[in-house]
Amino acid sequence: MKTIEFASRFVGTALLWFLFGLIGLILSVFVFPILYLTIQKDNGRQHVARRLVALAFSAFMWAGCRMGVFTVHVTGMKHKDPEGAQLILANHPTLIDVVLLLSLLPQVDCVIKEAVRKNLFMRSSVTTANYISNQEPEWLLNSCVSCLESGSSLLMFPEGTRTTVGQGLQFKLGAAEVAIRARAQILPIVIDCTPQFLTRGAPWYSIPLTRPHFAVRILPAIPVEQLIPGGLDERGARNQLNNALVSLFESELT
Amino acid sequence: MYSRIKDILVEQFDVEESAVSLQANLYDELQIDSIDAVDLLVQLKAITGKKISPEAFKEVRTIGDVLDALAKL
Repeated sequence: MKTIEFASRFVGTALLWFLFGLIGLILSVFVFPILYLTIQKDNGRQHVARRLVALAFSAFMWAGCRMGVFTVHVTGMKHKDPEGAQLILANHPTLIDVVLLLSLLPQVDCVIKEAVRKNLFMRSSVTTANYISNQEPEWLLNSCVSCLESGSSLLMFPEGTRTTVGQGLQFKLGAAEVAIRARAQILPIVIDCTPQFLTRGAPWYSIPLTRPHFAVRILPAIPVEQLIPGGLDERGARNQLNNALVSLFESELT
Repeated sequence: MYSRIKDILVEQFDVEESAVSLQANLYDELQIDSIDAVDLLVQLKAITGKKISPEAFKEVRTIGDVLDALAKL
């Protein structure tokens, strides 16, 4: 029975990636060009594009669950403020964290890797949805801060890339800097995937012996001031905040 | 140029003046963090009008490296 489950999960995984590429291509070749032709306003187009991305990602997650590739359990959705601008910070254990989170949080902005912007299957989706690229550090910081100040929520993975298995969490200072500059409400999201799946350096077809389960916990939002003691200078504050965030996530993950 | 960089480090990033030298490692010895580095790049651009690319700055370790990178532009 175990072998059958494993084999069907392997086939499911392959099919799921095929679907991901196919949907990406259809969106790129047919849907997004139509958006460009029919919606002239950048804002409106961005809104529709993000809806479509969220829809495609929801379909991906649904198909993954249906085909038994993985299971997902989400708690704490009530902590997401639908109106307010929140800086959503999540750890990044697997390749599909952004798919998972954007399927749950459709209109948020997010920081994406420049490489994704160049990927044939995702390029036009991420450009039309106008996500923030990590290409240029100064520009990236300013864009993130103004995104929050304009009242949108922003998703960042402070690790900057997927977690290195076997090492403690390491957050880059950028997320802390953005939080401080924008005086943000931080919404921490802890992603725990057991057994490990689609980790950094693992190929897409390497699947664990038992079905991976994603436990996604959205924690209560924390105003950034609450994590920084007073009297610190700028650099002290961002270091302190970074350490506080790492400890928060580490304590939630053990 | 060296003295301009030294001024920025001492005045804005709380680096001890005596610790600054051409060979001083920005990150290990002078405790410059990644956000400071971004800030430093922006200020150098304002002074020289030229921008060291983030990729080139990744290779930079010492103040001497910063000067070399600027000279190459």
